[in-house]
Amino acid sequence: MATPSVSAVYIHVIDDVLSKVREDLINSGASDSVLTELQALWEMKMMQCGAITGTIERSSASKTAGVTPVHDLNVPYEGPEEYETPTAEILFPPTPLQTPIQTPLPGNVDHPMYSSSPMGPNDYPTPVNDMRNGGDVKGGRPSPYMQPPSPWMTQRSPLGVDVNVAYVEGREEVDRGANQPTTQDFFSSGKRKRDDYALNFQDGFIPQQDGAGDVTLEIFLPEGNELKQFSASSSGVAANAETVSLQDKKSASRIPQLDGTNDAFDDMFLQGGNTPADHRVATPSVGTPKPSTDAVPEDDEPPLNEDDDDDLDDLEQGEEEPNTHHLILAQFDKVTRTKSRWKCTLKDGIMHLNNRDILFNKATGEFEF
Amino acid sequence: MATFELYRRSTIGMCLTETLDEMVSNGTLSPELAIQVLVQFDKSMTEALESQVKSKVSIKGHLHTYRFCDNVWTFILQDATFKNEECQELVKSVKIVACDSKLLTQ
Repeated sequence: MATPSVSAVYIHVIDDVLSKVREDLINSGASDSVLTELQALWEMKMMQCGAITGTIERSSASKTAGVTPVHDLNVPYEGPEEYETPTAEILFPPTPLQTPIQTPLPGNVDHPMYSSSPMGPNDYPTPVNDMRNGGDVKGGRPSPYMQPPSPWMTQRSPLGVDVNVAYVEGREEVDRGANQPTTQDFFSSGKRKRDDYALNFQDGFIPQQDGAGDVTLEIFLPEGNELKQFSASSSGVAANAETVSLQDKKSASRIPQLDGTNDAFDDMFLQGGNTPADHRVATPSVGTPKPSTDAVPEDDEPPLNEDDDDDLDDLEQGEEEPNTHHLILAQFDKVTRTKSRWKCTLKDGIMHLNNRDILFNKATGEFEF
Repeated sequence: MATFELYRRSTIGMCLTETLDEMVSNGTLSPELAIQVLVQFDKSMTEALESQVKSKVSIKGHLHTYRFCDNVWTFILQDATFKNEECQELVKSVKIVACDSKLLTQ
C-alpha cells in the first residue's frame, strides 16, 4: 500500500527511537528483551495496518513477539480507523500550546498509567494518581536509576486492574467512533434527567401525567411522527408512568379525601397530585387549566429530549466520520487569506489519504472558502 | 528541543502508542519509560520528516471549516485534490491539523 519510501522512513524512525531510548531503558533496569518486544510489537502493528510493506531486515526479531499475548493486539486495532481511536488523546493529553486535538472529555479520565507524566503540566486529575503519586514521583524520570522492578511491580499490581478497566471502557468508545463520548455523556445525562423526571412524578407530578398523558398519547399517536419513532421507548416510559401512577392514584385519591370538597373534580380530571391548597381555592378555575399546562411539558419533554440526542448523534457522526478517515498532520509556515481565497504553506507532514500514508516535506494549499 | 505531539496521531504514532499501552498494562514497561519513548518518537519523527522526506505536495479544495486555536490551524477541506510527483489523490473530505513551525525553532 505505502510507497517504499514511506516504509523506509517509518523503519528509520523506529530504529532511531529504539537506539536513542535504549540507553535510558537499560539504565532504568529494563532488559534488552523489553526493547525487542517494543520493536516487534510496533512493527507488527505497522505491518498489520499496511503502513510498512515489504520485508523488514529484523523479521527474526519480530518472531520473538509471539511470546506476548496476541489477542490483545488484534482485537482493538482496526487499520483504517486508527485515527478515530481516542487513545492517544486519552492516554497522553496534549499540551495546550502545541496541539489542536480536542481536550479529553470529562467522562474519559486519561490513562492513569501515564498520569504522572514528566512532560510538563498535567492538568488532568485522575483518581488513581493520588494513590500512586508517592511512589511514582520519587521514581520519576529525572532520577538516573529507577526503583528495582520488583517493588514497582508489586506496587502496581493492584492498580493494574483499575487501569485495565479504564482502558476497556476507552476501547468501547473507540469502537463507536471518536465522538461517541460526547454523545454518550449527553445520553447518560439525558437518562439521568429522565430518572429525575420519574422521581418527580412520584412526588406528585404523576397523576397529572395520567390524566393528561392518556389523553395526549391518544391524541398524539396518530398525529406526531416523532412519537411514533420512539414508540418503543415512550411506551416503556408510559408503561412505567402508568404503573407508578396506579400507586400514586391511590395515594393521590387519599389526599383530596382529606379535603372532602374536591372528590368530584378528582374523578373528572384524574389529577389529585397537586397540593391540597390548590384544590381548596377556586376548584373549577384551577382544575380546567391544568390539563393544558400539564399536557404541554409532557408532550414536549420526552420526545424533544430524545430527538435532540439523536439529531446530535447523526450530525456529529455524519460530520466527523469522513473527516477522521483522511487526516493530514503537519506544521504550517504561513497561512494567508485574501477575501475567500486561502493560501497556506505546510511542511513536514504526514498525510493519511484513502488508507495510505504519504509524507511530504513541503505542501502548498489553495482553498476556496 | 521542543517537540510536537502532533505526529502521535499518525499511523506510526498510533501503533507505537498502542504498543506502549500494552506493554505498560502488562507491566513490561514503566509508564515513565513509555512516556520517554513517546517523546523520543516526537523528536525522531520530526527529524525524519525534515531530513529524509523531499517530496512536495499541492493541495486544492473547498475550505469547509477553518480554525486557529492555540497556535494550531485546523482546516476541513471538501473535495480536495492532492498532487505530488508520483500520484494524485482525490478525497471527499479531509482534515488538516498544522502546528506552527516557528515554535520548533525557538
